[in-house]
Amino acid sequence: MNKRKKQRIAFAIFRLLSLVVVGILLWILGFIIYRGAGTISWEFLTSAPTDGMTGGGILPAIVGTLCLVAGSVLFAFPVGLMSGIYMNEYAGNGFVVKFIRVMTNNLGGIPSIVFGLFGMALFVNTFGFGDSIIAGSFTLGLLILPLIIRTTEEALKAIPQSFRSGSLALGASRFQTIVRVTLPMAFPNIVTGLILSIGRVSGETAPILFTVAAYFLPRLPHSIFDQVMALPYHLYVVATSGTDIEASRPIAYGTALTLIVIVLLMNLLAGLLRRYFGGKVKTD
Amino acid sequence: MIETKHIDFYYGAFHALKDVSIRIEPHTVTAFIGPSGCGKSTFLRLFNRMNDLIDGVRLTGECIVDGVNIYNKSVQVDDLRKKVGMVFQKPNPFPKSIFENVAYGLRVNDVQNKAFITQRVEESLKSAALWEEVKDKLKKSAFELSGGQQQRLCIARALAVSPSILLMDEPASALDPISTSKIEELIHVLKQEYTIVIVTHNMQQAARVSDRTGFFMLGELVEYSDTKKMFLNPEKVETQNYITGRFG
Repeated sequence: MNKRKKQRIAFAIFRLLSLVVVGILLWILGFIIYRGAGTISWEFLTSAPTDGMTGGGILPAIVGTLCLVAGSVLFAFPVGLMSGIYMNEYAGNGFVVKFIRVMTNNLGGIPSIVFGLFGMALFVNTFGFGDSIIAGSFTLGLLILPLIIRTTEEALKAIPQSFRSGSLALGASRFQTIVRVTLPMAFPNIVTGLILSIGRVSGETAPILFTVAAYFLPRLPHSIFDQVMALPYHLYVVATSGTDIEASRPIAYGTALTLIVIVLLMNLLAGLLRRYFGGKVKTD
Repeated sequence: MIETKHIDFYYGAFHALKDVSIRIEPHTVTAFIGPSGCGKSTFLRLFNRMNDLIDGVRLTGECIVDGVNIYNKSVQVDDLRKKVGMVFQKPNPFPKSIFENVAYGLRVNDVQNKAFITQRVEESLKSAALWEEVKDKLKKSAFELSGGQQQRLCIARALAVSPSILLMDEPASALDPISTSKIEELIHVLKQEYTIVIVTHNMQQAARVSDRTGFFMLGELVEYSDTKKMFLNPEKVETQNYITGRFG
């Protein structure tokens, strides 16, 4: 077989496989939309479940998931950002940083159910928050912390040293250099990390299982110490352990579709943010 | 004035500069030449302590700028860098507007008077022979400028904080010949107000722009004299070999 033929065959296989991946994704999306679209209505999105979760809507779960996303990002983003900055810009490459880095990576490898258990022990019981938005947010925050630290570090690492030198040579402090030059340049990539973590937070079930998620709570939370329903857990409940699984099947697909759309909307929003910041700091 | 006494400098175990002593007079252009890795850039970066940013370096000897050993504990490095400006090999404007690039050094040094900043930006751009080309687009991104313009912008940026010494680390090596000759003309003008130290790979450039030239090899300052003498009648055979192209 000559080399041109080999190349043609190889590329044909590569192309086929990438199309298969896209195909599977479209299939999942199509399937969820096909099964779920009929359920979606203004009422479904704005009312609480009724009739043993075989009727009504999913508003409490939507609100719950949005609260958890906001809470966990509010906690994890500043902490992760600052740790990432510290590790890449200040700490050098000594033993301590290597240790922190290894530990951060290990943290990222812990199964999410373990985070759930830990969150229950620490936030729910020891701190006495009870099953609550704040306990769930902290638990989910811990889960995405490694991701945010990692992306912050990588984003900063990608900024050429020459920009830092240029700033320092003008008498700027290292802190000024970070705030005025390095961080704005790295921000689009940091935002990407944030997008990924938001997607993760909205979809995680295990960490919220013991820390916040309510099986059935058809009202909106009043404070951060309230329990809430959340979309992924609600999906699990109506699909496997509701009062009448057959009757609540459409609700499961509607919930899945809502969850997907929320994640896509957040990605879109973050993409716009990224473009907005990216436009300001374009490096040629 | 810059003076070094018996400078030895190490990157880890590597002995990068060996017993270098030199005196640089105010309002002159001094060029450092020599083969790659000879230590000329390392030596230049001692004067504004840019080598501090590298891990595992060690320095002995004295480096005196305007009567003060700049490696004394009492010296604040940001104050030093205001006095000793630097232009790098590759133009490195910030991803900001042309105006903000030049204003940057003032802002980070807590200058807040807007009128003063505007005035300094204009003066600096004029000193860097860039004003006429950019005066109508100060709000535009610095990345819209050509490479040569970007490098003159970096010179303007360095001048804005009113240094007395300007270090240039191969400032034209990434530029085309026309941009290069503009930078060289600029050096001629700037030396009336600033003390300029330039590192260059290009011997013709050293001959064109400098009053004094230092030739480095393997971390040693082999020869240091008036540029004319250096190129017409060098004392050392290594210098002779290098400038005639037999080595390096």
